[in-house]
Amino acid sequence: MKITTFAAIYIGSYEVSLKVFEISAKQKIRSIDYVRSHVELGKDAFGKGVIGYELVEELCLILKEFRTIMDGYKVDAYEAFAGNVFRNVGNALFILDQIRLRTKIEVTVLSNSEHRLMDYKSLAVLPKFEKMIQKGAAVVNVGGGSMQITLFRKGTAITTQHIELGIMRIREKLTKIANMVSHYETQIQELIDKELDIFKRIYLKGSEIKYIIVMGDYIGDMAKGFSKKEEDGTIETERFIKLLNKWYKKSTEELSLELNLANEHDPLILPSVVLYKRLSEELNAKYIWVPGVNICDGIVCDYAGKNRMIYFEHDFEEDVLAAARNLAERYQGYSSHSEAVRNMAVVIFDAMKKVHGMGKRERLLLQVAAILHDCGRYVSLINQSECSYQIILATEIIGMTHVEREIVASAVKYNSQPLQPYSSVSGSMDQEGYMVVSKLAAILKIANAMDRSHRQKFKNIKASLQGRELVITVESPESIVLEKGLFPDYANSFEEVFSVKPRIREKKVF
Amino acid sequence: MDKEKDYLKPEYYENRELSWLKFNHRVLNEARDKNIPLLERLKFVSITSSNLDEFFMVRVASLKDMVHAGYKKKDIAGMTAKEQLEAINKDTRSLVEMQYSTYTRSLVPLLHNHGIEIISAYEELSEAQGEYVDRYFEETVYPVLTPMAVDASRPFPLIRNKSLNIAALLNKKGDKKEELEFATVQVPSVLSRIVQIPSSEEGQKAFILLEQVIERNIHRLFLNYHVVCAYPYRIMRNADLTIDEDEAEDLLQEIQKQLKKRQWGEVIRLEVEDKVDKRLLGILKEDLHIAQEDIFKINGPLDLTFLMKMYGIEGEDELRYPPYQPQRVPKIVPGEDIFEAIRKGDILLHHPYQTFDPVVDFIRQASVDPDVLAIKQTLYRVSGNSPIIASLAQAAENGKQVSVLVELKARFDEENNIVWAKKLEKAGCHVIYGLVGLKTHSKIALVVRKEEDGIRRYVHLGTGNYNDSTAKLYTDLGMFTCSEAIGEDATAVFNMLSGYSEPPSWNKLAVAPIWLRKRFLKLIKREMKHAQAGKEAFIRAKMNSLCDRDVIAALYEASAAGVQVDLVIRGICCLRVGIPGVSENITVHSIVGNFLEHSRIFWFHNDGQEEIYMGSADWMPRNLDRRVEIMFPVENETLMDQVRHILGTQLADNTKAHILKPDGNYEKIDKRGKRLVNSQQQFCEEARNALPKTVNVYQDRVFIPAEPVE
Repeated sequence: MKITTFAAIYIGSYEVSLKVFEISAKQKIRSIDYVRSHVELGKDAFGKGVIGYELVEELCLILKEFRTIMDGYKVDAYEAFAGNVFRNVGNALFILDQIRLRTKIEVTVLSNSEHRLMDYKSLAVLPKFEKMIQKGAAVVNVGGGSMQITLFRKGTAITTQHIELGIMRIREKLTKIANMVSHYETQIQELIDKELDIFKRIYLKGSEIKYIIVMGDYIGDMAKGFSKKEEDGTIETERFIKLLNKWYKKSTEELSLELNLANEHDPLILPSVVLYKRLSEELNAKYIWVPGVNICDGIVCDYAGKNRMIYFEHDFEEDVLAAARNLAERYQGYSSHSEAVRNMAVVIFDAMKKVHGMGKRERLLLQVAAILHDCGRYVSLINQSECSYQIILATEIIGMTHVEREIVASAVKYNSQPLQPYSSVSGSMDQEGYMVVSKLAAILKIANAMDRSHRQKFKNIKASLQGRELVITVESPESIVLEKGLFPDYANSFEEVFSVKPRIREKKVF
Repeated sequence: MDKEKDYLKPEYYENRELSWLKFNHRVLNEARDKNIPLLERLKFVSITSSNLDEFFMVRVASLKDMVHAGYKKKDIAGMTAKEQLEAINKDTRSLVEMQYSTYTRSLVPLLHNHGIEIISAYEELSEAQGEYVDRYFEETVYPVLTPMAVDASRPFPLIRNKSLNIAALLNKKGDKKEELEFATVQVPSVLSRIVQIPSSEEGQKAFILLEQVIERNIHRLFLNYHVVCAYPYRIMRNADLTIDEDEAEDLLQEIQKQLKKRQWGEVIRLEVEDKVDKRLLGILKEDLHIAQEDIFKINGPLDLTFLMKMYGIEGEDELRYPPYQPQRVPKIVPGEDIFEAIRKGDILLHHPYQTFDPVVDFIRQASVDPDVLAIKQTLYRVSGNSPIIASLAQAAENGKQVSVLVELKARFDEENNIVWAKKLEKAGCHVIYGLVGLKTHSKIALVVRKEEDGIRRYVHLGTGNYNDSTAKLYTDLGMFTCSEAIGEDATAVFNMLSGYSEPPSWNKLAVAPIWLRKRFLKLIKREMKHAQAGKEAFIRAKMNSLCDRDVIAALYEASAAGVQVDLVIRGICCLRVGIPGVSENITVHSIVGNFLEHSRIFWFHNDGQEEIYMGSADWMPRNLDRRVEIMFPVENETLMDQVRHILGTQLADNTKAHILKPDGNYEKIDKRGKRLVNSQQQFCEEARNALPKTVNVYQDRVFIPAEPVE
């Protein structure tokens, strides 16, 4: 039986952790060692914006030890990531370089969406998860620097929001006033409430959630002592809030004693109690579930999935589409037109497979672009392409990387605007990305053109490649003179990109 | 709560030091036991002496420190440091008196009957013996002596801790004023204290003490002087190491510095011969800055630890117990793959009845096995040339990840530990030199092996140190297992000891200093709840000392609720039995035998779902709060039965066991009409009988022709 030993390293805002796994067909993913070391990178990062030399030293020493541990287990592969803490830091590149030279570990900085996707994957392997998201759930991941809330409805992720409020960040913000107030819970609460309120108003509206799935530090300790759990391991939110209310008034030392923590003066305890309390109160779900997984579990799931060692029941692609639709809905740009465009684009994509050389992922991106191609109209009618671009770029979609969002946003922009030469956009994407953008934009243009009137006149669309022509066969009971007439303009840009001429062939239906 | 306060009343507790002195008494009782071979009895006297020495250097010294510092807080029995010192003084004097009366009135005459003479006064030597002694002095002793005089230009020299010295009053030859001068010479520790000399009678042995040899020839050291008188004396200094750890940048260096300092602490005891000259005593008292109550006048040879050497003299085997050969562990066949044996099931080891070899072999096999990835071990009080150290060094050289936690703060062993710790480092092991503020007392070894279906961890957990020589003298229990839950915990322990964060939760192990105390209290409380619910409830435990107030209070509460508590406690016991309404259900047995009892077992009835634990910790504050300890559950049914049998036998011991009485004294059990049970002897027998008899498999069926009738 083939066993792969894999190590996952994560550099967080106050902790660096290493988890070693064995991945095998029989036992799936089994954790064999878990080592954590306390390094307060967040203190420098959130406070000063750069990570100082001393902390880098400490970090490198620990990573070196991790290297020794990995070598000790003779790991077959490893992945090392850094989170939020490195994203906001000015000297990130230098630090990564230092790490690589001194410890021979390659660390990649995760964008927020990638981070969330990994967290998400660590949950997706748990059987309980699928059941819970069917009934409506919010996955809340609380980190040192920030917090991520992802809403699930009927089994798919519909929106995910990143709130720059993490336990450590709260503490850093309030250290200045900590001396002025003996119990600064009220201050913490005010900070949190402001952010949660906005989220609730805009994103939570109308969503019914039954479960809150919480990941983060200290929540494990808080939930551990809970004796009265439901059969599926969840805790009734009301009971949880009651307990947290009791703790709300306690001092740090008393809390540490109750929770059996190693550090009696852990300054992060109080902010976390307040944060979890407010979250539980505001999100209004009936049950809380603490699965006890962390980012390292996500890293190994991601690796195992990519290398086809495990099989995910969950369809992450469906999430992306559901999120895109939800986004389009929010900007009132979702209609039957978008669906029609999406449908057409997919037909054309499939027909052109041999020519464009793009894969499954790009097919998905095309669909997202099609769904979102009109969202900018919400902001401005005349400037809609630019606005669409900005909106897409600014919105996180779980399951899409930052780069992919850039591609989709650009494809939507160049749907209306003429395609810019590579030199002008080389800052935001590489050549490969630019090629994908141009191809997607070209397909999108003609798909869009086919429903110029937004009346979904075409039925039963078929496309096939014949020589150097793409023949699109349509059936339409109505007049398609408009579409046919304006088609050549878009056809030209298509031909420029693919050297294939698209042609509409009408099949009369009576 | 009122109820809780009740159990903490000082009158419910015994002072720790006084309890220890009672333990030393029990050891001395072995020396007074006529049924024990003569030389073994001598050994016990020697042990009481060295025990007493250590007691003074550490416990009495720290009490004196407290008095100096003006520390007025009372201990759990309600005594201040000063009160304790007074009581200790009294008890110690009676102990010492009994020591010497046993030696002089019982043992020396017995030795005489067996043809062994120990000459304690050089005046008793025959002429031939005298000549021999003098020649010995000239050739061997004289070159090593350093006599030191004290006068205006030569201040009183620094006398070494625990050393035996001879003090003399001198008179300059021809000095009409007859002024007396003081001089002192150390009895060299490099030479043997007992010197064998030709016996005056055939077939007998004669020994003389080294100080007598010197005293006889002392005039040769001070040629221009007339020696007025010369008497031996011995001092004890404060040897408690208090290392200021937070400033100690390099723990290793700090210990090395302190080791040198150890020779020069304050003098806390002076032993002199009872016939000592008053003037001499006066000078010693003044120059050593010692109080009258700390002076002990001894009727006999000072420092009886030389009796340990007497135990080891050539021949005379009938005066000793035959040496016990530790038996093989039935489930482990020497030479076979030990990992395979462990995979078949958990294995229990009971030393010294069973050999310690499997543990040594475990590490050795791991060091040469290509599938082994890592070996981790905690080492505390390991012997210098230990085969374990050699295997660990070898493992590192073979490319394995070797992590060793060396405990440098093992009192009196520090020097030893540093040497081989450095040796391991050189070989490539990752050596962790102890933890700041904590002594690592846990005994755990972990081997990580990459096998066909993944990584498997083999763990050895024990109650005794990884020292193959003490493993033949101390009783200890150990367990081999490859259970995943324990393996995970073991990895977490070593991660924690390496400085990483503690694991989110523990599967099976209870670790001190954070979790162990709570665990014990929880287990005792749970038993109490069973008793309150009317169910059968008992706790049976064995340990070396019991002096933690919270645990004792919990036991009192449990006993009051109806839990039957039976304890086997070797040494210190601060709990009082038979207090009405408090400790009527508690019994305390103390076993002092040939082997030093050292194992720790904890057995909780838990309404039928019994839980049995073993561990490295006693019920003392230092174990629960200031040391890294591990307690582990025994879950394999067969092993549980074995442990139940061991503890049961010890509780039934009526030969070597003393029972604690409500008045605080220990008494031997009334054996009349009962079957004699000597637990240690029984275990020896059982270990021997546990091995399958070797059957001659080559015996064919053969018709044997009869011999012709002649």
